[in-house]
Amino acid sequence: MTTARTFYWMVIPALVLFLIFHTLPVLQGFYYSLTDYPGYGAYEFVGFRNYASLFQDDRILDAYLFTFQFAVVATVLTNAIALAIALGLNARIRFRTTLRGIFFIPNVLAILIVGYIFNYLFANSLPAIAEALGITALSTNILVNPDLAWLGIVLVATWQAVAFNIIIYLAGLQTIPGDVREAATVDGAGSWRQFRSIVFPLIAPFFTINMVLSLKTFLQVFDHIVALTNGGPGTATTSVSLLIYTGGLEGGEYAYQTANAVVYFLVIVAVSVFQLRVLQRREMSA
Amino acid sequence: MKRTALVLTAVLLLSACGSGEPADDRVKLEFFQFKPEAIETFDRIIERFEAAHPGIDVTQNHSPVAESAIRARLVKNDIPDVIALNGNGVFGELASAGVFYDFAAMPGAAGVSPPIQRILDDLGVYRRGERNGLPFSSNASGVIYNKDLFRRHGVEVPTTWSQLVAAAETFRGAGVDPFYVTLADAWTTLPTFNALAANLSPPDFFTRREAGRTTFAEAYPPVAARLGELFGYGQRDRFSRTYDDGNQAFAKGEAAMYLQGSFALPAISGFEPDFDIGTFALPAGEDPSATRLVSGVDVALTMAREPEHPEESLAFVEHLMSPEVMAAYAEEQQAVPPTVDAVSDDPALAGLMPYFERGRLTGYADHHIPLTVPLEQFLQQYVIDGDQAGLLRRLDSEWDKVAARRS
Amino acid sequence: MVHKGVNWWLTALLAACSLTVLVPLYFTVVTALKKPAELAGAGFDLPDDPQWGNFAEAWRLTDYPQAALNSALVTVGAVLLTLLTNSLVAYAIARNLERRLFRGLYFYFVSALFVPFPIIMLPVIKQTSALGLDNQLGLIFLYAVYGLAFNIFLYVGYIKSIPRSLEEAARTDGASTWTVFWKVIFPLLAPMNATVGILTFLWAWNDFLLPLVVLSSPSARTLPLVQYVFQNQFNTDYTTAFASYLMALAPALLVYVFAQRWVISGVLRGAIK
Repeated sequence: MTTARTFYWMVIPALVLFLIFHTLPVLQGFYYSLTDYPGYGAYEFVGFRNYASLFQDDRILDAYLFTFQFAVVATVLTNAIALAIALGLNARIRFRTTLRGIFFIPNVLAILIVGYIFNYLFANSLPAIAEALGITALSTNILVNPDLAWLGIVLVATWQAVAFNIIIYLAGLQTIPGDVREAATVDGAGSWRQFRSIVFPLIAPFFTINMVLSLKTFLQVFDHIVALTNGGPGTATTSVSLLIYTGGLEGGEYAYQTANAVVYFLVIVAVSVFQLRVLQRREMSA
Repeated sequence: MKRTALVLTAVLLLSACGSGEPADDRVKLEFFQFKPEAIETFDRIIERFEAAHPGIDVTQNHSPVAESAIRARLVKNDIPDVIALNGNGVFGELASAGVFYDFAAMPGAAGVSPPIQRILDDLGVYRRGERNGLPFSSNASGVIYNKDLFRRHGVEVPTTWSQLVAAAETFRGAGVDPFYVTLADAWTTLPTFNALAANLSPPDFFTRREAGRTTFAEAYPPVAARLGELFGYGQRDRFSRTYDDGNQAFAKGEAAMYLQGSFALPAISGFEPDFDIGTFALPAGEDPSATRLVSGVDVALTMAREPEHPEESLAFVEHLMSPEVMAAYAEEQQAVPPTVDAVSDDPALAGLMPYFERGRLTGYADHHIPLTVPLEQFLQQYVIDGDQAGLLRRLDSEWDKVAARRS
Repeated sequence: MVHKGVNWWLTALLAACSLTVLVPLYFTVVTALKKPAELAGAGFDLPDDPQWGNFAEAWRLTDYPQAALNSALVTVGAVLLTLLTNSLVAYAIARNLERRLFRGLYFYFVSALFVPFPIIMLPVIKQTSALGLDNQLGLIFLYAVYGLAFNIFLYVGYIKSIPRSLEEAARTDGASTWTVFWKVIFPLLAPMNATVGILTFLWAWNDFLLPLVVLSSPSARTLPLVQYVFQNQFNTDYTTAFASYLMALAPALLVYVFAQRWVISGVLRGAIK
């Protein structure tokens, strides 16, 4: 009996803190989304007007389209590259520990600062290299080209995210029993089929978790964009998170953008649930 | 383990609860300002103030992202004692929200030129008749030029649009970039937009736009067309250069003209150009006598509506607003004091002074456009893709959406 | 031992791929050591005469010691508080998952993973400021509380694999549930503590948005926030800016270089559970 009570005491303080610092703000945020509050001063209750306006706002729609385009491409690229490198690291190679150590480095670096470094590379070094090589298409900064800027962000995001995903895939590959792994070693003939029919089904759960977490993280992209384009050129790379932040805190439409954030939350949950369903069904059938 | 937790808590509390400075019974004021290039100027002003007021300790806090920083402080209900902000749309919005002090009763602001005070008041006040900010310095938006390059290529200061285009062609023909353009910072399209809008669109445009009697598509094609034309004379890498790059490159003599406000002058001078700098008002049309110069309140001073230390904060504001301090600031920062009959004898500003003397001034058009309309991003995009109809359509649709959301 | 089966082609290919990681780092280092005049061109050449003064300039301009101390304080505080509290909560939940209340709590905490930060941003700004927590201490609390969502997920999975017999033996010796946790379970959690500690460390050290909105005083700024704030003041002084970036990245990089195997095995373990 006392044990049961102790267990309650173990969770209650954390529960209270969580209620205060997370759940209460969520409810407050939802409440503010029903008002015209700019974050300070007086405000009025306006019901679901903000939500009605959201669905007529093409800037919001544009931000969603950009965010999804970015997130899907970055998720696919990150997982494809990470899986390939993890397979390589798991094969019979030399310097495995060193290489593994190098590939993980981007994960210990702050995205914002990495973004600033790449920003300079895109603006100055890549054009200089492209010009020297005579590639005119790349001789200007891709971050200021409305059609290409998003690729710059994909590149930096993938560069950073691959590091962590490699480790998850390596973990998955290590769960494969030794004799199976022996048979599935990627070098030699028919390795693609070995991978498809033996290795991949065994690491499918890791694939699922990586895909879900990558997509969820990329859908909330913020730091990369602040450092690389700040949403530009024009509004070409304005992600939903950036729009909520700039429109809400800098544009003075806090309540309106919070309504956007609530819708965004529902979208993320829906996408994650959908993804889990589809990928888990594949795991079963694989 | 518990001991670790205790020690940790103690360390955290200690570090959070003050850095152990000696007791100091001086009143502490926080002075929040937005101009990184004026930090040292303000430091000197503060030093003089503290010498005269031994009971007050002023700390300068500057933020390069001042507008979002000040909003965050308002959200926290933690408003700095004395605030210096650019007199723009954000200032007007905050003033209208009733978070700034009412200076209507303050006699110290008597020296300020009434039209300039009106420009600031027109941005927004909490209640009619209130005065929620004081102009501390004025700026002007026009064209900054390299006198050496003009002389070397035999180009006169243009006073009409066709002369301006002809000058640009002359420079281009001689292999000199006519303008240094810095489109990586979207806002650098605004000084030019404002000069063109002030001279090429109907003066009552915004009143009529609010009433739904006109549109950008109807009234702004000349503004957009000339904006696109001028920026087309920029240097090759104009899309990826920032404002800072521009100040440096212009100071190095890399272009003949620079489409910026007077507020860029201190930064350019900081790079020690080895030529003389001049300025002229952007001639948007063909009649030189019709050209008006865009001028606004560069630095506006204000305080919290309910100040924590009203007397001390007011004393500091009065110190800042004294004619000597305003003049000294204007001299160091190459600005124009907002006082009646004030002129600047800075040679770089000489080209703009006639407009001040004859009162041929006009305000910033972009201050009338709601902040949630991403004007500068739209202008940046337009200058890159050249889609004029698209720009005007987007401006109209954003304007209507914002109006509908706020009705 | 002869590496008969070593695939040298693959080794070379992976080494080439690793250049994508190393080249930007190399670029950062050489740029931080150049004179502004040497910046023209692609910029991958070595500096003629390394300008160590760039670091001194960045150190002075950004008040590096203060920012580094803030980052260190927040990170260490967040890691310790997270380890001490999150493991405890996870233990109580993991041992009572058959009860509806605790199972509900589990899903309640984990579901927070999907709430985007912007929803709670403004209320959190108001709250932390009203409570006087708009400082390093507030950040430590927030990391420990927001970390619960993912850490509970990691810990509960791990604790389920620890046989209950160990605790029951201790309990028959008269130990209380608290003692059982601190003396028996917590030490057994060491591998998972390492994982959670590493992930919390990387999060708190590299985070940008939470410090941006929570911290009020300029003297409380963390390293990434300082880079953001000074981005304008670096002006076109890219060499100083890069020196500053490098100094901001260096502590985490150094820790990683020395604890590399340990860090990676920690993350690996987290993935396998």
